[in-house]
Amino acid sequence: MQNLNKFVRVAIVGPVIALFLAVVLITFTTDRFMTAQNLMNVSLQVSAVAIAAIGGTMVILTGGIDLSPGSSVALTTCVLAVLVKLMGLPLLVGILVVLVMGAAMGALNGLLSAYGRIPTFIATLATLSVYRGLAFLITKGTPIFNISPGLDRVFYDRLFGIPLPFYYVLVLYVMTYVFLRHTSIGRAIYAVGGNESAARLSGIQVNRIRMVAFVLAGFTASISGLLIAARLNSGSPNYGVGLELQAIAAAVIGGASLTGGIGNIISTLFGALTVAVVQNGLNLNAVPAAWQNITLGLIIVLAVSLDMWRADLGRGLSRIFSFERSEEK
Amino acid sequence: MSGQASPLWQLVDLSKAFPGVQALDRVSLPIERGQIHALLGENGSGKTTLAKCLAGAHQPESGQMLLEGTPVILEHPLDAVAHGVATIYQEFSLVPSLTVAENIFLGRPLKRPRTGLVDWERMRRHTNLLLQQLSIEIDPQAVVGQLSVAEQQLVEIAKAMSLESSLLIMDEPTAALGLTETRRLHELIRRLAGQGKAILYISHRLDEVFQIADRVTVLKDGRRVDTRPIGELEMNDVVRMMIGLDIEHHYPKEFNSRAALCLEVEELSTENGINGVTFDIRVGEVFGLGGMVGAGRTEIAKALYGVDRPTAGSVRLYGRPVRFNSPTQAVAAGVGLVPENRKADGLFFNFQGPANITISRLKGLVRRIFLSLGEERRVGAEYVHKLSITPTALERTVQFLSGGNQQKVVIARWLYSQARLLILDEPTQGVDIGAKLEVYRVINELTRQGISILLISSDYPELLAMSDRIAVVRDGRILHIAPAKELSEYELLSIASGADSQNGRAGASARPPRDQE
Repeated sequence: MQNLNKFVRVAIVGPVIALFLAVVLITFTTDRFMTAQNLMNVSLQVSAVAIAAIGGTMVILTGGIDLSPGSSVALTTCVLAVLVKLMGLPLLVGILVVLVMGAAMGALNGLLSAYGRIPTFIATLATLSVYRGLAFLITKGTPIFNISPGLDRVFYDRLFGIPLPFYYVLVLYVMTYVFLRHTSIGRAIYAVGGNESAARLSGIQVNRIRMVAFVLAGFTASISGLLIAARLNSGSPNYGVGLELQAIAAAVIGGASLTGGIGNIISTLFGALTVAVVQNGLNLNAVPAAWQNITLGLIIVLAVSLDMWRADLGRGLSRIFSFERSEEK
Repeated sequence: MSGQASPLWQLVDLSKAFPGVQALDRVSLPIERGQIHALLGENGSGKTTLAKCLAGAHQPESGQMLLEGTPVILEHPLDAVAHGVATIYQEFSLVPSLTVAENIFLGRPLKRPRTGLVDWERMRRHTNLLLQQLSIEIDPQAVVGQLSVAEQQLVEIAKAMSLESSLLIMDEPTAALGLTETRRLHELIRRLAGQGKAILYISHRLDEVFQIADRVTVLKDGRRVDTRPIGELEMNDVVRMMIGLDIEHHYPKEFNSRAALCLEVEELSTENGINGVTFDIRVGEVFGLGGMVGAGRTEIAKALYGVDRPTAGSVRLYGRPVRFNSPTQAVAAGVGLVPENRKADGLFFNFQGPANITISRLKGLVRRIFLSLGEERRVGAEYVHKLSITPTALERTVQFLSGGNQQKVVIARWLYSQARLLILDEPTQGVDIGAKLEVYRVINELTRQGISILLISSDYPELLAMSDRIAVVRDGRILHIAPAKELSEYELLSIASGADSQNGRAGASARPPRDQE
């Protein structure tokens, strides 16, 4: 559809500019950024955020928000470590179990918010605390190292010379793109976020759609957790702190509207790249962690205010257009 | 001119353009004290722009606004308020969680002189006095959100009056009101005019305008057609001025009712106040539900659509017993709903026209396993053509469409989803006469195809003209079912309002189940 394509192209401009600005800025501050090795590092690091941002975007599209992925990641790494290292289960079984658990964690978020009618912000704030608490509980607070020799390979192996995480990101984003754009459920996700009441009266099972978004969000969070566990070959209740904010930042920089119904997954990928590049730049310039946190916060504020200003602008225009000019004579 | 007292407001050659359209084109208009001046015209004729210029929300590009002969420039809505202009828009500016008194003094609380703390007692007294002066019987302590829509409107007017306004602009004030409430509002407006206030009254409802206005100005395409005392005009003249059509063409009713039954409802009751209603709808029939706002018409629709659960009774659709627990089930069984509030409950402003049309039957777009957006485009173009929706709908999100086009987009959704029973809840509310005719044409087309229609409308001439049969609803019961031809507007009104029963005007206002909102 030409117009939708045009829309996607326009929507993608913002995050691409953001990414470009970030790259230019950092290239000027350090000459270590534009090296092949560093760019490879950034790309590898971005994979965890980018994948968690898929679920984050879907929940935002339904008009909700998911604050739990960082904790889901921590619990995922810990459960994997306990199952494989301490209980001696085969690695593949461990991976399958944590993926299912990811979906279950998402389902709990969905149950609480869709059926329990707890606002998503509160429901996932609660599970943020619960999931990380569980991670501390099962590890007694200490990281578990060297989970399995095979686990490294999930992250570090290459196919045709390119590290595997590239493929994960590519495949998951293509699948999500097709899912959101070319399936009924994907369309319903946009409808629920656009106008919940109209969606219900159009015959859409609103709660079920919310569940789908959250289950997928939990699932992608656990994939993200797997990558982090594989990169460090360990599980720790302290992993993934702040990941939820990075995922939300990726979606919002990508132009997803926090009121729901507007956003696209390709832009989210550029948003995730922007977040990763900025973080990498701060690392290279030896900016202390405290300031990195502050910077991420400021970026989120900036991205959301841009979204709001855009909405105001849109409303202003629509007010002008709607009542006298509506017929486009 | 000389010696004559100048009118309260005199607009001289007011012009205002928006991108692509001349919204106001050299409009001149006197607004006199103590008069109710109705502003008529189709959507897009410029009446809202005119009102917004007076309210300070728009600034005219040329022309003058004279207040008692002196030119004034209103750069901001607050300027207008300072010059005695109060505007009551369709969307209220009240805070639902606050009391009446708090709302009236919102932003300018009365304070105790020494401590600077808010003086609740004085605010309550002032409010009480104000309401008494206006003969509005509402408790100053009542929480606004718990008042009916009509009462909220009265509060809104009281608030405007508390600002010592000399001109009151009302944009479609009765859109959400039932008959009794409209009457109450009209009484109040007349009293205000009697006190020397000027009223600028914008409405789509001609019958109302003829009941209440002293003078009428008709706008068309941004130009003033005429300003005349109401006594010199017939309703037909006004319609002709507005659209160049004769009123006889107003209701192009076709009778397409067949023998077979579409819907049979027996002794249906719900927790929401529906009390043992029994009726049936034939294939291709338009079955009208008449009654006051709050009489239970929308609740009957909700029960049929799976929104409210029935507590007793049975429903058969095409002979098969059905019991819908959700709109999803109703939609799957071939029932569609065009809701009263299309913005809140009907449209997806984040979608363009085609996606709004296909949302209830996305199955139809599936090729192999994926949605075909090419097919969606084709479907969109097909319905845009069929229902004469503006082609803009194909390219832009639906928020940019006029009310009539938006309504047709929602109707197209149910055509595409192949609904066999369509519930139309106030389908022509807030759309102009041209678009109304389009909706009637669509109703004919639907019934010709054998689709049955449950029509809810507070516009009684429309309901009487467009229905095959009508059920009159009051207090959640059906009191009377008759062929529309055998009912007069007078009969319909008197049954619906309870004027036919012994205790006169009680019926409608006595503890009715609340309609939506």
